[in-house]
Amino acid sequence: MSNYIERFSTRQRVLHWIVTASFFTLVLSGVGLFSRLFNGYFNFFGGGQNAILIHKIAGPIFFLSSAYMYLDHRAEISSFDSNDMEWFRKAGGYLSREPHHFHIGRYNPGQKMFALFIAVATLVLGITGLFIWVPTAFPRWIVQISLMLHGLMFVGSIMFMVLHVYLATIGNPGTVQGMLYGDVRKDWARHHHPRWYRERTGGK
Amino acid sequence: MADTINRSGRKGFLVDTSKCIGCRSCQVACKQWNKLEADKTANMGSTENPRDLTPALYNRIRFIEKESSGQTVWQFLNQRCMHCGDAGCIKVCPSPGALYRTKEGSVVFNKEKCIACKYCVSACPFNIPRYDSNDKVAKCHLCYDRIAAGMSPACAKACPTQALQFGNRNDLIAKATAAKKKLYGVDDLLGLGVVYALEGPPEQYGLPAKPEIPTSIFLWKDVIKPLGILGFWGSIGAVLLHYVTVGPQRTEETEDKGGSHE
Ligand code: HEM
Ligand code: SF4
Ligand code: SF4
Ligand code: SF4
Repeated sequence: MSNYIERFSTRQRVLHWIVTASFFTLVLSGVGLFSRLFNGYFNFFGGGQNAILIHKIAGPIFFLSSAYMYLDHRAEISSFDSNDMEWFRKAGGYLSREPHHFHIGRYNPGQKMFALFIAVATLVLGITGLFIWVPTAFPRWIVQISLMLHGLMFVGSIMFMVLHVYLATIGNPGTVQGMLYGDVRKDWARHHHPRWYRERTGGK
Repeated sequence: MADTINRSGRKGFLVDTSKCIGCRSCQVACKQWNKLEADKTANMGSTENPRDLTPALYNRIRFIEKESSGQTVWQFLNQRCMHCGDAGCIKVCPSPGALYRTKEGSVVFNKEKCIACKYCVSACPFNIPRYDSNDKVAKCHLCYDRIAAGMSPACAKACPTQALQFGNRNDLIAKATAAKKKLYGVDDLLGLGVVYALEGPPEQYGLPAKPEIPTSIFLWKDVIKPLGILGFWGSIGAVLLHYVTVGPQRTEETEDKGGSHE
């Protein structure tokens, strides 16, 4: 019997990495626009004007792929039950080495919050990005608020991203394999997502 | 940022609206000196022409029509970049050198360095910067080239009535104050480089009573930016600290207890 269980289909994995590639392209091309302090990042693209061009190409790719990702997993990320509340109360067991048992399904509530935040951020960044794209076509106050919100959502996503990447890699060994190869070890699944594991394997 | 003002050496304009006769010599002189092409204009049923600043029109006369005891009176305002002491355009410009301050205190642009992001148009309290066909910034640069060569700005030189006076900013303000003029822009935004002597409330001239950098621009640059940078490094630090204290969640231990926890 295999020691592995499928977690993400090929379609889901490719989708996630398209979102990721466009996200980091946006971060690298946009950080120099966020502040002059990061002017050096424009050099990756051969100057600020090219960086803006790349930003305008990566933006729609991120918006569409991320929106699709949300639609794809919205059922799994948008409802919270009492087990999730218990997880929140104990901070997911991340603050101590004590063994802990949460009856978590496909995603834990931290992951759900992250995925919901990304969905909101995608929407806000997309809409405000449009106003910033053609500022002279809109009233000035709309563009001013858009510049602020675009910066705010950028800061929020980048901070969440640090947590996401940590928790999906070295913080929880065995996790990233699911997004790379599609399957995860069974003991990983039993530990992190017992209810999901049971549903998948029929109670074994 | 590196945008500081040497107050005593600062040069600027004093625009005395009471002396302006609306001849628009300043508009024409600026076009000539800066070799700006003519703007297509249309008759809009008003003497005011053109109706707005353009990328080829760095200053213009705003005509204000007023009824006063049954008679129509005109007031004229020379509209242009104010060369703010605290300049919103410099604050947001992401491209070093595209907008910068000269040692005389003027706010000058360099099209070569401009990356066409258009942030400055949103950050300017006076809605001044315009964009040319290449999406590059254009506005009054206070004739930095002429000033550096010891000349006065083309528009001030062309003004037949001394409505546009150029010189040491402190001296101009002192003279106008002694003449009991009502001044606009002495202290706003760390002092405007263009100070107006008005004959009525600023709103009547289409000027904001209390010019300020837009609140959301302030929040973006002075709150979200510094806190965001702090937050980013904070989250990196928190994650590293977690890794070496609590450590990663290993899953082998679940096997000892065996099976599902449901
Ligand atoms: C190097 C960067 C990244 C790595 C290593 C990474 C890794 C992963 C992994 C391993 C999972 C699956 C978690 C599980 O099995 O439960 C996952 C899920 C997810 N990823 Fe990423 N990811 C990265 C970047 C991103 C980016 C840039 C976004 C969006 C902007 C993103 C959004 C998501 C979402 C919404 C999920 C599903 C919900 C969740 O697990 O929170 N990821 N990621
Ligand atoms: S008036 Fe506008 S363009 Fe001129 S210096 Fe002030 S903020 Fe900049
Ligand atoms: S449009 Fe040009 S001058 Fe204006 S903020 Fe952007 S880079 Fe600076
Ligand atoms: S100071 Fe120079 S650039 Fe500015 S309006 Fe006058 S002539 Fe034009």
